[in-house]
Amino acid sequence: MAQILGIALNGLTLAAVYFMVASGLTLIFGLMRVITLAHGTSYLLGGYIGYVAARETGNWFIGAIAAIVAVGLLGLFIHQVLIKWFQDDDMRVALITLGVSLIGADLMLAAFGGTATQVPIDPELQVATVQLPLIGPYSLLRLLVLVVAIVIGVLLALGISRTRFGAVVRAGVDDAQMTAATGVNVPVIFAVIFALGSALAGLAGVVGGTLFPLMPGQDANYLLFSLVVVIVGGMGSIPGAAIGAALVGLVSQFTLVYVPTYSLVFTFTLMVVVLAIRPQGIMGRKS
Amino acid sequence: MNNQPYSGSILRPQRTGLAKWLPIALGAVVLILALAFPYIVDRPRFWLPNIGIRSLWLGVIAMSLVFLNRYVGLLSLAQVAIAGVSAYGVGFVVVQLELPFLVGALVGIVAGTLAAVIVGLVAARTKAIYFLMITLAIGQVFYSWASQSIEVTNARRGLAPINRPEFGPIDLANIQTFYYFALLLAIICYLLCRYVTSSTFGLTLQGIRDAPDRMRALGYNVFGYRIAAMAFAGFIASIGGILIALDRNQVDPNVVSLNSTLDVLVVAVIGGIGSLGGVFAGALVITMLSNFAQNFTERYMTLTGLVFILVLLFAPTGLAGVWQQVRRLVSRRRNAQAEQESLSGLTEQQPRANTQKGTSNEAD
Repeated sequence: MAQILGIALNGLTLAAVYFMVASGLTLIFGLMRVITLAHGTSYLLGGYIGYVAARETGNWFIGAIAAIVAVGLLGLFIHQVLIKWFQDDDMRVALITLGVSLIGADLMLAAFGGTATQVPIDPELQVATVQLPLIGPYSLLRLLVLVVAIVIGVLLALGISRTRFGAVVRAGVDDAQMTAATGVNVPVIFAVIFALGSALAGLAGVVGGTLFPLMPGQDANYLLFSLVVVIVGGMGSIPGAAIGAALVGLVSQFTLVYVPTYSLVFTFTLMVVVLAIRPQGIMGRKS
Repeated sequence: MNNQPYSGSILRPQRTGLAKWLPIALGAVVLILALAFPYIVDRPRFWLPNIGIRSLWLGVIAMSLVFLNRYVGLLSLAQVAIAGVSAYGVGFVVVQLELPFLVGALVGIVAGTLAAVIVGLVAARTKAIYFLMITLAIGQVFYSWASQSIEVTNARRGLAPINRPEFGPIDLANIQTFYYFALLLAIICYLLCRYVTSSTFGLTLQGIRDAPDRMRALGYNVFGYRIAAMAFAGFIASIGGILIALDRNQVDPNVVSLNSTLDVLVVAVIGGIGSLGGVFAGALVITMLSNFAQNFTERYMTLTGLVFILVLLFAPTGLAGVWQQVRRLVSRRRNAQAEQESLSGLTEQQPRANTQKGTSNEAD
């Protein structure tokens, strides 16, 4: 029992990282109907920047902020220089961002090498545990990651459903032309959301890079998982991304323990089952 | 609705003169160059495997991608994984079961085609960007499985050796013979694609691509046709997979990695995502780039990525489209005068059009 609960909690903390990556992807898709395949690159770059900044300053939070700002700016650059012109051509945007990820992977390999690194954090926190009922001692750091992801998720959901900016974003999702006609500067909203979505992936990189190793190939890995999460959860929905991330995280952790070789195959099966029952994803709207 | 940039028209205007003979002449020149290739290069030992044969299998796999994209309207990023299934099929039969190569090739092609049907069953209900995402995810899942499954794929070490077989006097271990063998397969695949696209089946596919709902109303099984198209493209990709297995003498997870998927995509885009023959030009560019870029830069992937993005930004129809762009420019110049004349004609016709509109309104 304790083991099963422990695996479940591991799955949920892994899901927390997946959710942070995928929420940016789903946010961008929700508003702009384009998918950025450079999202895994944003994750890994965020992690590396966080690693360098935290190592130099000795402060994890400076690393996180540096990653958010740098990856957000990179997202803004990608949007303004490469994507803005083809907003209606989603295939071309997907392919161009795939090209960006190709370049990103190569340049990061050149800059940070092929060995695995981790974002440094207070060594006491690294080993600290809390006593949980039924489970026993459990890593405090992992629980904190879960809390951070929940806070981000709630803030995003509230920000979209309760604030004025959120209302404008939702209006832009439903009818960009009419929203522009009411005086909203839609291109600016698009740019802000694209930068915000990328920055989320950057933050996820720092958080994920504190728990798990950062190395070449992780960009493709996290791109794969965030794609599966948004396909399962439903494109463009923040609650959907949360549900999708939880499912993917739990499935991958349980299968990793009981049938390690076929862990990914089961994740894939999950995606197939969801697609067979609900092609638009669990929380997705029919287009 | 029909303003897609690369929608091939079913009813082509009758070509005359230069426009009719140029593609045939171009094809003949390319064929002669391809046949003479082993004799015109300075170092066949380098050029044949690194440029020639690699271009051929890259082109064959990219052609299956282009076929799906142009004639079915589905951009599949799982084609490399499907080729990989075929290559692993060969490897499994030859290395693990120690059976002859021909059995392996048969198993490979069947396995690859079946894999394509399965991908189709999962993904073909969705379209456009969803299809792209799902096929990319499926390809990555296969890569992860291939690099972990010790008992079937021998994980990271892969399956080796896959020796090139000997059929009587034809010894594929000879690099020049193998080149002609690969060339023959590539030509057969190309002709097969051309034949299918001009058949009733191909025309139905194009109808489904342009107006799925109308075709459904006409009684066509849209989903079934998409699956059949996936199976055909999977068959072509499987042949590419067998060439990979023979070319590398082994099969390992690198064959189906994200980079390989991107390589094939880059080949298709540079060659012209709507052109079946253009892929071989794209493949030639990429293999040359990968072999010669090392002389002046270590960042070959960055260079490839830059070329890829530049092509997407400025020449979305790729190398095959450059000729058409030039022709359009020339004809635009030539028609400038005629256009001016027709413009003055338009202003004269304007009032007449208005009265027609007016009368129809009254009739309502």
